Amino acid sequence: MTAKGVSERGKKVLLDFPALAALREHDRKGIDEILGIVEGCAEYKREVALPRALQLDQRMEREPDYFDWETMREACRYNIFSLAIPKVLGGLAEKYMITGMALAVEELSSACGGIGLALAAHSLGVAPVIASGAMAHWDTVLHEIVEEEKKGNPVVMAYGITEPSAGTDVEEPEFLEVGKIGMEAKKVKGGYLLNGRKCFISGGSEAKYFTVTAATDRSRPLQTWTTFLVERDMEGFSTPRVELKMGQRACHAAELLFEDVFVPDSHVLGYEGDGMANGILIIMAASRGPVGAIATGIARGAFEHFLAWTREKRNGKRPIDEDRIRMTLADMLGSIQENRGLFLNHSFGGDAVFRGAFTHPIFLSTFLIPRTIRTSKPYSAFLNSYYGKALVNALFRYFIKDEDVTDMLAKASLAKFTCADNAMALTSRALEVMGADDSPQRPWVEKAYRDAKLTQIYEGTNQLNRLVVYNTEIAQSLQVEIPGPFKKGVR
Amino acid sequence: MIRLPEFHEDQEYRILRETAAAFAQKELSQQAEQLDLEPTRGRVREVIAKAGDIGMLAALIPEECGGGGLDEYAFCVALEEIAVEEAGVAASLLAHNTALLPSAMGEPEALITGVSPDDYPACLAFPGDVSFSGGRVQGRVPFAFNVQECSFITLIPAGSGGTQALTVRGDTRGVETTPEAYQMGLRAARAGSVRLDGAEPSNIISGGDMAGAVERVMLLGLASIANGISRSALHKAYAYASERYQAGKMIVEHQQMRIFLAEMLAAVEQGRTLVKRACEDGGIAPAVVAWLRCTESACKSAIDGVQIHGGYGYMRDYGMERLMRDAKYCQMYPTTSQEALLRLLEASEEGWQP
Repeated sequence: MTAKGVSERGKKVLLDFPALAALREHDRKGIDEILGIVEGCAEYKREVALPRALQLDQRMEREPDYFDWETMREACRYNIFSLAIPKVLGGLAEKYMITGMALAVEELSSACGGIGLALAAHSLGVAPVIASGAMAHWDTVLHEIVEEEKKGNPVVMAYGITEPSAGTDVEEPEFLEVGKIGMEAKKVKGGYLLNGRKCFISGGSEAKYFTVTAATDRSRPLQTWTTFLVERDMEGFSTPRVELKMGQRACHAAELLFEDVFVPDSHVLGYEGDGMANGILIIMAASRGPVGAIATGIARGAFEHFLAWTREKRNGKRPIDEDRIRMTLADMLGSIQENRGLFLNHSFGGDAVFRGAFTHPIFLSTFLIPRTIRTSKPYSAFLNSYYGKALVNALFRYFIKDEDVTDMLAKASLAKFTCADNAMALTSRALEVMGADDSPQRPWVEKAYRDAKLTQIYEGTNQLNRLVVYNTEIAQSLQVEIPGPFKKGVR
Repeated sequence: MIRLPEFHEDQEYRILRETAAAFAQKELSQQAEQLDLEPTRGRVREVIAKAGDIGMLAALIPEECGGGGLDEYAFCVALEEIAVEEAGVAASLLAHNTALLPSAMGEPEALITGVSPDDYPACLAFPGDVSFSGGRVQGRVPFAFNVQECSFITLIPAGSGGTQALTVRGDTRGVETTPEAYQMGLRAARAGSVRLDGAEPSNIISGGDMAGAVERVMLLGLASIANGISRSALHKAYAYASERYQAGKMIVEHQQMRIFLAEMLAAVEQGRTLVKRACEDGGIAPAVVAWLRCTESACKSAIDGVQIHGGYGYMRDYGMERLMRDAKYCQMYPTTSQEALLRLLEASEEGWQP
């Protein structure tokens, strides 16, 4: 395969992902854009992440409240905060949004799982604003992210789902129905009053905007689960606590505290009550593949450092000259490639589902309306109204079918737990084979071992993800049904 | 609570088990987190001095020489109990006692030094590439426990067939110790590397198979510490699973979680049996097998224990993630699993020539 006009890193990506090379023959421009993203991330890895990852990790064990904004600011140069933002808004997401995201986070996480997470968690926070079709906020919040990024100021978002007494429960409809939910959003005039706590929220203490899920009636959490857009400076909102994590420390896991936080009606993303299907499930269907890519990146990072170790001389001998080490290296490469196959399988499918809506002329033509009008009060009031939402919803649902989302959810969950398990196994094995050698590579592999464990836990534990795969693919008992104005269950 | 199956042991071991468990409960359980996060010399020494009260500072030295007079199995039993609360302290005691072992094998009376708590920690710099000629020691040991601020270092030079051991005072000229830049696990046993450049030994001990003896005790000790970690993972995870409601029922009622817990229980059972058998039978092969299996199981128990805890397991507060880091260090020293397996087969083959 010849790839003209592609950098060294890009060529390696095409070699590692032959499917991309094949696709490039049909859509050179589209694929070259992804390669450009990966090249940017590779440069960020080399220039920014690798030189500080180890020190940052060690420092944040002792100073968990410390946050390295410099790594975030540097990321602006590579447009990493607009990875998930549609191109019409100045972002990078178009035909291959999920694939681009997955390849980018693999690259970033191969330098540092924590930095990779900090940047990926932002896109996870952005995702509900996009997937819910809440276009009134596209020209404000998403526009701000893109514009500030150009100036080198990171505007960070975070997605708050997990609650202190409900982790697995808030990720799956049948469990949400029986879960012990703490957060409540009480309907009041003109909006909602949010009370309660969210915990372990990645990026929670840095984010300016939050997408947060809450029940409007705690006795019927599934039926009333709703996604809200919360701003940091809303009264009563605070992030009082940062956790002491074993790994991925460069990204804070924070507690979000809501004490009578008033959130206006305009900040409901989607409709009240569609927070499970139109919120969590559709987001997980898109994001769990990239989370598998985080795990793959961590594994790849461990592999790179392990490989460097095998080439170091000890008493005149190199580990790589031994058969058993060569076999181990081949095993590792095998598991990384297996991971890539799985997350790419998901992301290609996911892009095919989303692409239709985001590249459709009707959708694009709304951005021909001048920005001054788009940000005007009547226009956003219309978009936030029942009929405005219905219009966007109708367009999205025309392209994004329930069965496709269900299928994506299955593929994403499969990729997530397999990649995470493989990453845990690979990093464990690397340390086992390396032993307590005083190589400078060992702290990197130890860090990867600590980082990898979190990938088995977040975005739904690996056990939950297995259940989702069973429920969607095998039992077919879980079918995502996104409620909308022209569908049953509409309010 | 979960009750482990009855494990038959003689009366003396049962009493020792209770004594060690009581010590660990009283002195370690409250400050396990600090011993991991900030294992300062003062904090570790304070705990270790109290371990001296139950004979753990010179555990393997005969009683008539002022030691604890424990046999191998008794020592393993005590380490397991201590490791249930804080594996790093157990590893430090293990390294200290194995460093004293050659002296005990040679001329025990020459070893008054290590018996006093003031002389803690002794470091066993093994395995490594160390040579001894013309009264001077040269070489490098990539990793050893108790390296930081150690009182003396025990070395086993190549060339003597492992029948000679040397001790070098930690402050001797020509001894350079480098602390681990960032020690992931077993942090109370403050590890690092040792470089020797013409250092003069304070003591030269000749005797039997020194290398074999220290390696055996080190392997069995780490296997026992690993068993302690598996037990700790089991008890913590079971307790958490019994009080946390998720996905419609208590975690402990979920089948897959029960399988994880049962695997931990099986690991403890298997581990104890292997250590006991290795202590009874002698030789290097059973010790290698015990170390291989116990440390591997401990890593799995700790990883699964974190998984049962979910997000909470990944955070420092619940003490689970520490087990994952400690267990891994038991598996990475004094050899690697692949090298140990190759050794094992070699030791069991007749007439094999390299």
